[in-house]
Amino acid sequence: MTTEFDVEFIERTDRNARFLVRGLTPAFANGIRRAMVADVPTLSIDTVRFVENSSVMFDEMIALRLGLIPLTTPLDDFELGDTVTVALDVEGPATAYSGDIVTSEPGVEVADKNIPIIKLNSGQRLEFEADAVLDRGKDHAKHQGGVAVGYRHLQKVEVDGDLGEFDDEEPQILRGVIETEDGELIASSEFDHDLTKLYPGKELSVTDVPGAFVFHVETDGSFSVEELVDRAAETIGDRADELKNAVAV
Amino acid sequence: MELRVIEKTDEELRLEIAGEDHTFMNVLKGVLLETENVLAATYDVNPEQSGGQTDPVLSIKTEGGADPLDVLEEAAGSLKTQTEAFRDAFNAAA
Amino acid sequence: MSYKCSRCKRDVELDEYGGVRCPYCGHRVLLKERARDIKEVDVR
Repeated sequence: MTTEFDVEFIERTDRNARFLVRGLTPAFANGIRRAMVADVPTLSIDTVRFVENSSVMFDEMIALRLGLIPLTTPLDDFELGDTVTVALDVEGPATAYSGDIVTSEPGVEVADKNIPIIKLNSGQRLEFEADAVLDRGKDHAKHQGGVAVGYRHLQKVEVDGDLGEFDDEEPQILRGVIETEDGELIASSEFDHDLTKLYPGKELSVTDVPGAFVFHVETDGSFSVEELVDRAAETIGDRADELKNAVAV
Repeated sequence: MELRVIEKTDEELRLEIAGEDHTFMNVLKGVLLETENVLAATYDVNPEQSGGQTDPVLSIKTEGGADPLDVLEEAAGSLKTQTEAFRDAFNAAA
Repeated sequence: MSYKCSRCKRDVELDEYGGVRCPYCGHRVLLKERARDIKEVDVR
């Protein structure tokens, strides 16, 4: 079976996007979603060597916070299990921010520089060296590149006619992306999620469009949305290849 | 990905696929059901008597004398083609 | 330096026979200081 896919972006920034895919089966859509969450690896701090920690928090608590800091991950340069050394040295009175972390690899840096790690009083100091490792969301949630990944069916709105003269107009709340009769795609946020604002005084019918999925993808900053989606599809393709070869033997 | 054949006849196959989960198995099952000569295809990550989650066990039943292993190979190939088609379409739009 | 006297804040080395007592001020409450060596923590 050969399928024709059709992809159209509705919203797009580096870390956040909404796009429509036509020609997808529900199983395939869910496979890609799951792969984005659990199978596309990211770098995350995994081992911390504390040289000095005279802050008010235990090493383990700080280590947990460090693990959750997203690091930019050039996936072409790393393989699963590869490590990058990072370090931090901050002396109080100051707040140690994620931006204070320095890395040994030029392509790897913290995705957000303004994440507070801990507030240090005068005389307190935090100094450590740590290894960031490339692993998948499946093994630990800190390695999830995709946060807030989901999809909905595209919804087609059809005008059936005018509302009766004395009928009460009730709000028709809807979320996602709609397709008008002219084939125009409109995100529901544009009409305040209320269809009657777009079609006042009309009798409407809303139906799901089969095989058309509107994905909403947000990444933690490790890489762009495009990279995440492409890599997710790639992991599924790789496994299909692997299975094919294993069966052929 | 390690495969262990549990049961194999001319038209039936039960196969354990180590290290996989719903992410891949459900997609594979979906493709299998659209493949020619497939009468039934399903998978189970919690088979009876297993007492918990195991590696997924894929079951295929074919018709028209098709070998289930050939059918599986064909489905895997078709899935690969589909993911590549998706990537091409996505990267063209991106 | 492994202990610190809680009254005079001086560093105290404990020896086997001296008992728990600050050799400078005689105070019996000593606080254990954090070791100087590097501590490795797994982020899990």
